[in-house]
Amino acid sequence: MTGTKKTGSRRLTMLVLLAFAVVFLGAVVWLGEIWQEEALVTDFTRKNLAPCQTHPFGTDWMGRDMFVRTVTGLSMSIRIGLLTACISAGIAFLMGLAAAVMGRLADGIIGMLIDLVLGIPHMLLLILISFACGRGFFGVVAGVSLTHWASLARLLRGEVLQLKESQYVKIAERLGKGRFYVAFWHMAPNLLPQFVTGLILLFPHAILHEASITFLGFGLSPEQPAVGNILSESMRYLVTGKWWLALFPGLLLVAAVLLFHYIGQTACRLIDPGSAHE
Amino acid sequence: MTAAVITAGLALGLFGCGAAGTGPAAGPNTRKEQSETPKESVIVVMGPSSEPESGFDPAYGWGAGEHVHEPLIQSTLTVTTADLKIGYDLAVEMETSGDGLVWTVKLRDDVKFSDGEPLTAEDVAFTYNTLRDTSSVNDFTMLKEAKALDEATVEFTLNRPYSIWPYTMAITGIVPEHAYGPDYGSHPIGSGRYLLKQWDKGQQVILEANPDYYGEAPKMKKVTILFMDEDAAYAAALSGQVDLAYTSAAFSEQTVPGFSLFSCETVDNRGFNLPATPAGETDENGVALGNDFTADIQVRRAINLAINREEMIEHVLNGHGTAAYSVCDKMPWYNPTAELSYDSELAVSLLEEAGWKPGADGIRERDGVRAAFQMLYPAGDSVRQALCEDTANQLAAVGIDVTVEGVGWDTAYDRAQSAPLMWGWGAHTPMELYNIYHTKPGGTYAEYSPYANEAVDALMDAALASNSLEESYELWKKAQWDGRTGITQAGDLPWIWLVNIDHLYWVKDGLKVADQKLHPHGHGWTIVNNVDQWVWE
Repeated sequence: MTGTKKTGSRRLTMLVLLAFAVVFLGAVVWLGEIWQEEALVTDFTRKNLAPCQTHPFGTDWMGRDMFVRTVTGLSMSIRIGLLTACISAGIAFLMGLAAAVMGRLADGIIGMLIDLVLGIPHMLLLILISFACGRGFFGVVAGVSLTHWASLARLLRGEVLQLKESQYVKIAERLGKGRFYVAFWHMAPNLLPQFVTGLILLFPHAILHEASITFLGFGLSPEQPAVGNILSESMRYLVTGKWWLALFPGLLLVAAVLLFHYIGQTACRLIDPGSAHE
Repeated sequence: MTAAVITAGLALGLFGCGAAGTGPAAGPNTRKEQSETPKESVIVVMGPSSEPESGFDPAYGWGAGEHVHEPLIQSTLTVTTADLKIGYDLAVEMETSGDGLVWTVKLRDDVKFSDGEPLTAEDVAFTYNTLRDTSSVNDFTMLKEAKALDEATVEFTLNRPYSIWPYTMAITGIVPEHAYGPDYGSHPIGSGRYLLKQWDKGQQVILEANPDYYGEAPKMKKVTILFMDEDAAYAAALSGQVDLAYTSAAFSEQTVPGFSLFSCETVDNRGFNLPATPAGETDENGVALGNDFTADIQVRRAINLAINREEMIEHVLNGHGTAAYSVCDKMPWYNPTAELSYDSELAVSLLEEAGWKPGADGIRERDGVRAAFQMLYPAGDSVRQALCEDTANQLAAVGIDVTVEGVGWDTAYDRAQSAPLMWGWGAHTPMELYNIYHTKPGGTYAEYSPYANEAVDALMDAALASNSLEESYELWKKAQWDGRTGITQAGDLPWIWLVNIDHLYWVKDGLKVADQKLHPHGHGWTIVNNVDQWVWE
């Protein structure tokens, strides 16, 4: 009896924390949407202010409010992360499925593609693609989504190979169902837990990589409020003691990434049938 | 017991901080040593981009590059004087033919290169002919041929009249014909005030006084130049390891113990172009030209009036700058009629008269055209970014909507043909006026922003063809405004100039930096133009 109660309360705590994380990130995205204009406002009469009541994160050398700017930047990061993680996961899903059901040749080609993408250092490939796509929003989205699908695709391919050997798939084949019917009706539902978890765990990667590439100057253009821009700008002023320019945006970025990671792991535990009784 | 130890520790700590704040205890000692043997060396910090990539070879931009300065290691025929007119270095006499196409320069005959060989007219001719054939960074296309008439006379024949040739001669270091080769850049031999002692690429350059220098012996015997980023330069000054370090307005509110902030006035200006033709045209490469809003002359005049330069200098440069009204403020060829005072009311009435009425959102419009433009700046340049933002704020007050965007130099030139870009100019030659305002040879418009005015072109051509520098200065002035037309407020105003940025340096107490000429664009080698006259006191 007590055991069930404990299990129930743990699941409940997880759900509450999950809800909190989702609400927090949702609020960031929503505020960022509202503050889009405000994040660009410069006011030279209030430049270089340390954190105070009206500007909790201080202001920068052009008098931009760093709180508004950080939240907007993070919101932009999350949205880019969302978009790129979805595209990446979509590519991974199709690749993984195709590798397993479209025969040896397709499997070989996809395996090579996966090895190729995983073999090149991530950042390098990212910079290359983003630069080739003309940087900016499009460059970042293309760069991040075309580099993050490989490991998930490999995982899904493995799952599909396993499913192919299972009895009900074989029965379906004997009953004369086509490859694609089997793939989408019998296999896809079984891939869902891995897919959803993989998708959520892609977020933190995508967000961090978006920030890094912008930090290095190959991403979003420098007047846009993006965490990477904020951090690279702050480097110039750190030596003059303007610690708030780097600290708060950095902390918030880390917090967002950790929250996504937590959401991913929690979702994994909640969905995974094996841990249903924990 | 413990409390006592802690208190003592705290007291020590506080004392230590206090001492550090008011100057390290070692300070007076080192100064004493200096007074016993007067210090004759100096360590100067410049930005990493100041390091000459291809070495100290004038053909690859040493002195005569994108940012001009005196070549130190080599001598030049002429020099620019404190008021930016022309004086002599190697030359003793200079003469031009009536048509301005032939220049004859007599040289002093007591000059030796640092390897002991005499510097002759042959070397001068060799230098100029080499630069004409190989220089990729500076314009020598006007030179047809340089010829040595005898040991000490050289004759330049030009393709086209070029009355400001002495300004080119002031930045061209003379190299020895007998010792010039592919590795000259890293092993330069010259006849200048200093010898290159050591060059550790990416780190430092060490110069030593030339013992055989024909002029006044340099007072500073050893000059070490370090290349560092702005924040590293600041840290180096803080640690007291250097004697002079470049810095910028962003650091100007800091204090460095044992150092004071040294500010040099400049012609290192920032301003933006306003495309003076309506949109619709494209050039031969398909680049869009013109802008419907800025094509209206009243708009350009209103923008110039609506900019409060003094406020901008306070906002962006912490007061370290001067208002700019032209690309060549305070130069001998500057026409002061360009100056005007901030008057936003007049700006508004100009816009109203021209039919630009406020729309629903407060932004003006006329016949469906919004009073709006995109303003570009080179990404990564925080000062230009701040100037754009402040311009946008100031123009918003008169109902003009400016969106600021950072761009790379790969696309900036093309995009500036249809949108204002925040530029930086300022050189010790009137040629800059020509480069900016004169119609491109063989083209329809000026090179950097679509604009053309035949009268202005004609005056600049006349200035280049004139017989004396004094006369050419007057013609350059007239090209800016001759009473009827020009490029100033009353004229066509295709460019708007905002500020001249003071060049700032941390200078160690006791170092006396010699008087500086107005610095040109480029916050680098210019400061050491006269390092030979610096002294420790």
